[in-house]
Amino acid sequence: MQVTAILEVRKVSKFFGGLAAINNLNLDIFDSEILGLIGPNGAGKTTLFNIISGFYPLMSGNIIFKKEDITGLRADQIAKKGISRTFQISTLFMRATVFENVFIGFHLHYKEPGWKAFFHTPAVKREEWVIKQKVEELLDEMGLTPLKDELAINLPHGHQRILGVCIALACNPKLLLLDEPLTGMNPTEKFAMIALIRKIRDRGITIVVVEHDVKAVMRACGRIVVLNHGEKIAEGSPGEIMNNKKVIEAYIGREEEG
Amino acid sequence: MKFVTNWRASRTAIIIVVLVITVLLPLIVRNSYWHHLFIMGFINSLLGMTFSVIFCCAGMVNLGTGAFFGIGAYASTMLVMIGGWPFWFALPTSIGITGIIATAFGLISIRNPGVPFVLLTMIFAEIISQIAGQIQFFGGWGGFIMVPRPNPIGGIEFNTKVPYYYLILCLFLLVVVVFKALYASRIGRVWKAVSLSPRLAETLGINVYRYRVLAFVIASSAAGLAGSFYAHYTQTIAPQTFGGFFSILVQLYPILGGIDFYVFGPILGAAIMTFIPEYLRITKEIEPIITGLLLLTIVIFFPRGIIGSLSNFPHVRLARISDRVKEITNWLSGMGPR
Amino acid sequence: MTLELFFQLLLNGLIVGMLYVLIVLGLDIIIRVCNIYNFAHGYIYALGAYLFWFSYVSLGLHPLFALLLSLSLMALFGIITYLGVFNALQSRFTPDVPFSHRLLLSAMLSVGLMMVVGRGILVTFGTEDRGAHSIFPQMINILNVRLPVEKLIIVMASFVSMAGLFFFISKTKIGRALRAISSDREMSSLLGVNTTWISLVGYTLAVVLAGFAGALVVPVYAVSAEMGKTMFFISMVVMMIGGIGSYKGTILGGIIVGQMMSFGFQFIGGLSYLAIWILFMIVIIFKPGGLLGEVRD
Repeated sequence: MQVTAILEVRKVSKFFGGLAAINNLNLDIFDSEILGLIGPNGAGKTTLFNIISGFYPLMSGNIIFKKEDITGLRADQIAKKGISRTFQISTLFMRATVFENVFIGFHLHYKEPGWKAFFHTPAVKREEWVIKQKVEELLDEMGLTPLKDELAINLPHGHQRILGVCIALACNPKLLLLDEPLTGMNPTEKFAMIALIRKIRDRGITIVVVEHDVKAVMRACGRIVVLNHGEKIAEGSPGEIMNNKKVIEAYIGREEEG
Repeated sequence: MKFVTNWRASRTAIIIVVLVITVLLPLIVRNSYWHHLFIMGFINSLLGMTFSVIFCCAGMVNLGTGAFFGIGAYASTMLVMIGGWPFWFALPTSIGITGIIATAFGLISIRNPGVPFVLLTMIFAEIISQIAGQIQFFGGWGGFIMVPRPNPIGGIEFNTKVPYYYLILCLFLLVVVVFKALYASRIGRVWKAVSLSPRLAETLGINVYRYRVLAFVIASSAAGLAGSFYAHYTQTIAPQTFGGFFSILVQLYPILGGIDFYVFGPILGAAIMTFIPEYLRITKEIEPIITGLLLLTIVIFFPRGIIGSLSNFPHVRLARISDRVKEITNWLSGMGPR
Repeated sequence: MTLELFFQLLLNGLIVGMLYVLIVLGLDIIIRVCNIYNFAHGYIYALGAYLFWFSYVSLGLHPLFALLLSLSLMALFGIITYLGVFNALQSRFTPDVPFSHRLLLSAMLSVGLMMVVGRGILVTFGTEDRGAHSIFPQMINILNVRLPVEKLIIVMASFVSMAGLFFFISKTKIGRALRAISSDREMSSLLGVNTTWISLVGYTLAVVLAGFAGALVVPVYAVSAEMGKTMFFISMVVMMIGGIGSYKGTILGGIIVGQMMSFGFQFIGGLSYLAIWILFMIVIIFKPGGLLGEVRD
């Protein structure tokens, strides 16, 4: 069975001032896999996410998604193409309810043009009803239904993280980038999140996870890429990575987390 | 005060009562000076709404409202006095002109929606003021005097304040209805998202820039509408009127009322600022100082404005009607942010 | 244009430019250390000028004492306004507050302060232009241009102040704390830096610098009712052209704007402001971080 690369990172470099955050990186992400992206602090993991999701204007190189060059596109254009992400720090619509948060997530599902929305035509109303159903479905799947009228800011940390993933899912992405989804969670919550990640993958969505909790990454991911100083130093299955000398070296002297 | 248990019904009842009172107001209060205050109250509310819409929907701070107020005023004045147009054509046209200029300005300056935008709006207001003053075609520093009143319509002539009152009331209601319709729609939801977290909104496929420009243009056009009315009401316009201080004063209204309530905040703030200074007889000289102090006091002690702080007032808590107050503020914010 | 005129305009532009740099360096500190876009800074400069004028002319003090008095008053003003006005904000900015709200609140504080100071000056000191006699009656010849000694003092004093400022920021402990806070406030506070106290120092320092610049101009240029508003616009423009966080950018911006004002006034008078604003818009549109600065979130 031919495994296709859904996202290709080709010779990508990103400089901040004189410093290379990402240096000539080449990376393939394959369809329907769960890829772990690990590495010491400052290795360039979040930078890579920011480049792929369109938050940084790319310095050099190409990003190819589903055989289409998406280099240089804006964040919202990339979302339209089918790439979604979460953030290291819980980025939610804090002063909106859980329901409203997820509702906005379905923004790309609208087919009626905006000006019709102004006149509140029946077609628009119908569409909104459809989306409302989808929101409730998704909330149910993620177990957030009891909290749907709570303000996002009032949620406990673990639930905020889940809400973040929920919102990202609402966009109907083909590729989901999770930036440190397990931060600040206790072991039970981590277990639940990893199960959730597997469930999402089973829907046919490719997932890339950046995490500091190396053990969790080993458990959750089928394949792992290790970055250090903006370069790929290792790539392979969890077993291979655990015994890779370069990886161990990169982590020596660093505070181990998780 | 007892509220009927059916909140929806009492809500509609309140709206109707308020509307009826507003419509009958010039007949109840006969004093022409009071009519003037009412009219200025509406104008100030409109301008306040310009600021609050741009803030609530685009997350930007616009300190140049005076610029578009002035553009509307000048466009309308010049169309009528130089072009010979009747007021009723000049009004919509000057709104359009304001909208076009706002679009051009917005497209350029909203690329940097943070602090550079604030500075650009301030400088733009100054530039417009300078252009109007330096160039004789635009009236120079003396501006225009004897701006004609609106032409009689349906037999009604504009020789007392009362027809002006009804005109501004209609315009005001029109603007409020348009804003509310927008905000209640999907566009309004996107606006709320943009104002809460533009970054997250972008991740969800929202073209934040486009929605911001939209909010800016619509709000600025409303300011232009107010300007056009103002010119034919006061019948004189001069560059100094629309200068820097004016724009700053305008933003006091929504902040005083409550910055989260994009319709009722400016209305309350404008009402207070229009009527109270009359009682206190504040001279033009120290007006900026009072305004400045007021601004500082509000930001430091009541950042959510009057409406926003309602539930926090101690006597409200004591009277145990805080739940009721919360309901009311929620309702107001239902007419505010959704 | 004769060579003599050219040099005259060039030197005058340089002198004025130095003033702008001095003021904007302070503004830069306030922005990076206290996270406040201080719109009132131009008016604070005017306040410094008026206070010095008051001490020197009205009270008849010896210029050095007048300087000391006015700078002390400025420092007091800085301390009071920071603690009374801006400090209230720092604790309120929890992570859930969106950037727009932060911008609004800090902008409102700045604007409020601007109005109080600006109009307060007018009400206290009246609207006529004030001036002072030269402290040193001689003139100096540079490049065939005759300059009053005060103008030379402006340049020298600016240089000395800037040098002192750079030294202070890079070598002293407080200076290091200032730099720490400006790059990462939360981290610094976790590391034990007293952010309130250091921000206060930064703010007061900037206010005193602006006051000093104001004092410098009193013997040479007119002290007018407009100077606060003018300096407000100019300082904002220089700051954004040069870029926040870049000393070189600020110096470059100050020099450019200084020259534009000098040459501009000679040939196009009041329209020079328009030219500067257009430059401002161009820079903001194409290089929002300023010519040499960083794009600040």
